[in-house]
Amino acid sequence: MASFHDLTHLLNHWIHWLRLKRGLIWAVRGLILGLTSSLLLGLWGVWQARLLQLEFLTLVTALPFTSALTASLLAVFWPISHLKAARALDLELRLDERISTALELNQHPQNIPAEIRQKQLADALTAAQTIQPHRDLPLRIRPSEALLALALTLILAAVYTRSEALFQAAQQARDVQKAITQETKQIEALLKQLETDPTLSEEQKKALTAPLEAALNNLEQNPSLESSVSTLVSASEKLEALTNPQAGAAAQALQKAGSDLARQENSALQALGQQLAQGNPLAAAAELANLDLSQLSQAEAAQTAAQLEQLAQALQATNPQLAGQLKQAAQALQNGDTAAAQQALNQAAQSLTQAGQQQALSQAAGQAAKQLQQGAGQIVAAGGGQTPGASPNPQNGSMSAAGSGLGPGQSAENGGQAAGDAPIPQNNGAGDGGATTYEQIYAPSLLGGPDGPQVGLSSGSGEGEIIGQGPLTPGQDGQSLVPYDQVFGQYEQLNNQAIENGDIPFEFSQVIRNYFDSLKP
Amino acid sequence: MPEFSIDQFRQIASQIENEVGQVIVGQTEVVRHVLVSILAGGHVLLEGVPGLGKTMLIRTLGQALDLKFSRIQFTPDLMPADILGTEILSDQDGRREFRFRPGPLFANLVLADEINRATPKTQSALLEAMQEASVTVAQKTYHLEEPFFVLATQNPLEMEGTYPLPEAQLDRFFFKVNVTLPDVADMVQILERTTGQSTACAGRAASGAEIVSMRALARTVPVASHVKEYIAKLMLATHPTDSNATALVKQYVRYGVSPRGGQALMLGAKVTALLAGRYNVAFEDVHAVAPAALRHRLLLNFDGLAEGLNPDKVIAELLKALPH
Repeated sequence: MASFHDLTHLLNHWIHWLRLKRGLIWAVRGLILGLTSSLLLGLWGVWQARLLQLEFLTLVTALPFTSALTASLLAVFWPISHLKAARALDLELRLDERISTALELNQHPQNIPAEIRQKQLADALTAAQTIQPHRDLPLRIRPSEALLALALTLILAAVYTRSEALFQAAQQARDVQKAITQETKQIEALLKQLETDPTLSEEQKKALTAPLEAALNNLEQNPSLESSVSTLVSASEKLEALTNPQAGAAAQALQKAGSDLARQENSALQALGQQLAQGNPLAAAAELANLDLSQLSQAEAAQTAAQLEQLAQALQATNPQLAGQLKQAAQALQNGDTAAAQQALNQAAQSLTQAGQQQALSQAAGQAAKQLQQGAGQIVAAGGGQTPGASPNPQNGSMSAAGSGLGPGQSAENGGQAAGDAPIPQNNGAGDGGATTYEQIYAPSLLGGPDGPQVGLSSGSGEGEIIGQGPLTPGQDGQSLVPYDQVFGQYEQLNNQAIENGDIPFEFSQVIRNYFDSLKP
Repeated sequence: MPEFSIDQFRQIASQIENEVGQVIVGQTEVVRHVLVSILAGGHVLLEGVPGLGKTMLIRTLGQALDLKFSRIQFTPDLMPADILGTEILSDQDGRREFRFRPGPLFANLVLADEINRATPKTQSALLEAMQEASVTVAQKTYHLEEPFFVLATQNPLEMEGTYPLPEAQLDRFFFKVNVTLPDVADMVQILERTTGQSTACAGRAASGAEIVSMRALARTVPVASHVKEYIAKLMLATHPTDSNATALVKQYVRYGVSPRGGQALMLGAKVTALLAGRYNVAFEDVHAVAPAALRHRLLLNFDGLAEGLNPDKVIAELLKALPH
């Protein structure tokens, strides 16, 4: 006699097979979904130069695998009711709704006579016993889905093998970002250092921190290679403008004179000399101001006058004002007018304080400027270019001389050099072009990076094909008559055409785009 | 509990088909549909050009079923009393009284030949009897003996002087069966059988009581809920306003199948399941009877009629499109 338990036992066995089958089918579908997603994400990442080679590989393997596994597990463990499974299996196994009817009759006998129900169950069980799951529910995947998965895999492989240059560009972009972040931290540290420097006045601190804060703000807002380097160079120049080229000579003169004084023992000016020798003009000024001439004997006064005279002579070339005040004090002391001498010494102390502060300002500005230049160099190096530490502009050691008014070709030191030797100077005389101010731009010094292909920018006529020529303007060197913002569009159009025509090597097209973007008025 | 087992059911049904097959060559689908209709307790409308054996089929069926058989040839001058019966004045033992004399409708198997030639009045009398299984004459109701089947025929070609059955009356036929031309092999056999010395004759295969029992058994066949839903959806999908309606339905159908069509589908499918040796209805049973159960219940609109659209095409498209 047929038992409902036998039928449910068979049904449970089929459901296990059904789960396996669905797991396999959905694994392939999950794989397709994962491959498609990773292809789209990978293409986007590669095209935007944001994905490194390893990251791309991780993406295109982990995402499809995870997706396939998730889909498969979901399909395997997705709840299946007996009745729904019976209906699906009735159709799939061509059981003519026998199993689902038997299940329903067991749950809701309705008005069907018991004998009919028993016969229906027996009929269903007989039909069910002819089913062999491994034969009738084969674990098979659809060929179209398998082909689709294979095609997507091949496309991903093709993308991987053909994106070497873009991976390198992504690596450079990543290095640049890292360098920019590092530089940002250094600037923050520098700002803290300057704000706590006791040798600087508040005004001096403000003058020093203003360009640094502006640079920090720019770096955070626009952390691109070109903009970052431009910002750092600009800030560096502003800081260099705060330096005094003669401050170094004055400091040396003060140290040397201080050393001479410090060697004279039992002298009233020995402490002053020691402070000066140690390079501490502010402390020296305090010593000078605290010197009490009225306590000196006649012999000591004569010795002190002579020493002041000697000190004045040593500082005459670098700080005439201080030297004059020291002379005045020496003469007053020789004449026995200690009050006048004391007053002159106080004035000299004030001058020495000012000189010390100027020296501190110049020193701090120079150090900050140097640090910014080094930072710019590191960013450039991270972007594949050379560091600007070799001082591309021999005039002042900065990368460019914006607004200096020099026309094309006047930067003779750099003219005619092959690309890669030094950054292309930007001394194009924008001040004559109608625009009163403009931001400095970054020009990659070595296209393609240190290990990239070299591009020879030949200066000789007749060599190579001219792929575009901009509008010529009348006038003389350094005296452009057409405003820059009026001709930029034409140059940009020529550039875009050259890129679209394939005249520009693909790996450099983004660099050139960035260059023209940075030139936009 | 029905008196019949499924094996007996199948055996008798097979015998009926065999006996009919002794006389009727081919037309197995037609015979099957007529048999399903009879076992489901429904009336059948057979449509086909003259000479295809419609009348012969029904006559043979009458022989095989050992039922009281009568034939009514419908003509324009046929009156309701001619088929229902009439009261006549009779003289018995000196007493004169009206006695009811039953018409040809008082039989188990009635052949209404060329039903569309009679007037609507006569058609209505027949169709009322089909629906109620009783007739009323002179304010007196007479019940028709069970089983009662009407097998009507009509000719689709000669439309002049005919009275096409209204849709409401067509709906009372359980199935509408199209009788088509036989193929060459069947035709050859027909020629052999009908032009020789002996004439084939069908033997008795089932009695009226057995038919009634078989009908009872057929009604006990269980139908799974999703199959019932499918039948309901199929029925509703024949209406152009239904969300499951196909393009053909939306374009060419004026009004879809009535609930009576759904009943015919279900009962027909139950009988088909039993004939297939199953105790439950499958989708394929529904598909097997759907054209016969639905084709005369689909009302085409003017465009459908103008383009000569066959309702079978609409039904086939529906069966293909509607998910199980």
